[in-house]
Amino acid sequence: MENNTAMKDHKDIYLIVDDEPDMCWAFQNLLAQNKILSQNALNGQDALRLIQKVDFKAVFVDAKLPDIEGLDLAKKIRAIAPNLRLIMVSGYFYRDDPAIRKALEEGLLSDFVSKPFRNQEILSVLKSVE
Amino acid sequence: METFESETGLSSEVQRHKKLYTMLLEAIPSSVLMLDRDVKVISANHNFLKKSRRTRENTIGFPLVDIFPTIILNTMNIPQQIRGVFKSGNATGGNRMSYRSSGLPMNIYYYRIFPFTWKGVVENVMLLMDDVTEQIRLSEEVRRVERHLASIIDSVNDIIISTDTRGRILSWNPAVEKISGYTFADVKGRPFIEYLPTEKQKDIHEVFTQMRNGRNSRQEEWELITKDGTAIRVSWIFSPMKDEHSTTAAIVGVGRDLTERLKLEAELLKSQKFAALGVMAGGIAHEIRNPLAICSSAAQFLQNDDIDTEFRKECGEKIYTGIQRASIIIENLLRFARPSTNSHMEKICLNALVEETIPLIHNQAKIQQIKIKIDMYRQNIFILANSSMLQQVLINLLLNAIQSMPDGGTIELSITRSAGDVLIRIMDTGTGILQQDIDKIFDPFYTTSPVGRGTGLGLSISYTIVKQHRGTIEVESNKDIGCIFTVRLTLL
Repeated sequence: MENNTAMKDHKDIYLIVDDEPDMCWAFQNLLAQNKILSQNALNGQDALRLIQKVDFKAVFVDAKLPDIEGLDLAKKIRAIAPNLRLIMVSGYFYRDDPAIRKALEEGLLSDFVSKPFRNQEILSVLKSVE
Repeated sequence: METFESETGLSSEVQRHKKLYTMLLEAIPSSVLMLDRDVKVISANHNFLKKSRRTRENTIGFPLVDIFPTIILNTMNIPQQIRGVFKSGNATGGNRMSYRSSGLPMNIYYYRIFPFTWKGVVENVMLLMDDVTEQIRLSEEVRRVERHLASIIDSVNDIIISTDTRGRILSWNPAVEKISGYTFADVKGRPFIEYLPTEKQKDIHEVFTQMRNGRNSRQEEWELITKDGTAIRVSWIFSPMKDEHSTTAAIVGVGRDLTERLKLEAELLKSQKFAALGVMAGGIAHEIRNPLAICSSAAQFLQNDDIDTEFRKECGEKIYTGIQRASIIIENLLRFARPSTNSHMEKICLNALVEETIPLIHNQAKIQQIKIKIDMYRQNIFILANSSMLQQVLINLLLNAIQSMPDGGTIELSITRSAGDVLIRIMDTGTGILQQDIDKIFDPFYTTSPVGRGTGLGLSISYTIVKQHRGTIEVESNKDIGCIFTVRLTLL
């Protein structure tokens, strides 16, 4: 579920929250190719647990998780880590979706990437975070 | 009766006859006048005096023209007719005359003029008048009612036919002439059975036998075969027409052309299906774009030159699996939107239908954190059904269950057998239905969903479809506990 890249390193580490193992596979490879460390969580509960333990640079959140809505998870994360950058990656919403616009305006989300994405889009988002 | 001869000098026998004659004239309900050659009244019976409100004193010995209004006498040419009878010695044929005494409503009389011949000479004539006002009024009323009834039968859009007890056509209204293309002249006296499908002959015989035996009305759905050979679906009600001894004298069939209704029903079914597709769209979008995203990333990895063979293979596999997944979702969706089967009932396997249906709503359930448990009967269950329509019922019930659980929950779908029936039970742990709403849930357009989320047609359409399958659909519910919908169908 978690743990694929080194954890107790000085390097930045990112969290990917998606219930689709193949989606995590894609993220993991994309980031690894760019020498970026990442960890996966397949549900909201695991994500919250990891966030309490690890100081992530940013979190990629899917909109629909088996135990919680992505936007609700974002609110919970905000409550425990107010400055953590949250990027929603979703096939359920679209960029101008009212719910997404509102979340971006309110600062709940830092960014939104629609599925399917260009790998470069994810890398650009990472750059903006740095 | 005024006498016109002294009674003295007459034999007792003649006196007897005279008395009898007088009595008869006074007793009959006709008005009788005796007239002489000068067309003067020589006698008038009681009924005449009463009807014309006259007395003997101002009648006897007076010319007819003084008693009858001139206009009537002239229009009817009565004096001339009287003179004709004196001349010919023959009675006139019966005629009608309208007569109104002052201050009384118009009366209509039937009258005849008879000669009184004595020893070859016409001595007097008798004008005999019967008041037929009431009979005419009644017969006109009867005619008016008959015309009214006939025009109802002729102007309705429904088919109205009648046959004798052997099934030979006695009447055939314009509506059935229009629908069938056969005129009444074409079908008169022909067996009604000739205009119905041959495979229904046994049923038709049975219904007609029951009608003959006095059974009450029967409802049937039989096609009517038109002149050009088209079969038109008609909903019939046959009833026996009984005579005064309660014996079946004829059989009446009233039918309604179902073509338009069936067309509307099919349209409604289709539009509700699209509404259900709309609800499913959100789940489908998510579920298709996920594998697409995986494919997309993997394809982009493959564009790099410096990747090893194993990773390349892995990428290829992910792309292949992703495409398969997306394709299955689309395939299922297409099957639901455009089923290949026609609208007829056929033998279908219920287990297979359920297995095909679950993936269609699975996406929607998944994104709402809803678990679906399926408890399928261990053997394959076969029923007579239209699989596309029955699938629409399952989808509607499952989508309702999903919509009642916005915060997640469980759907349990079970298939069990009970005697000759199969029970499809869909149970949810959702918001349930308020007791006061339970009676309304099968009504068209009844919905508790917010605008744009539900059309309020799902359950009413499901009810119609289940009814068409000769089944029943029931609901048990408690607010905040959830619902149980049970569809009962007959096993094949």
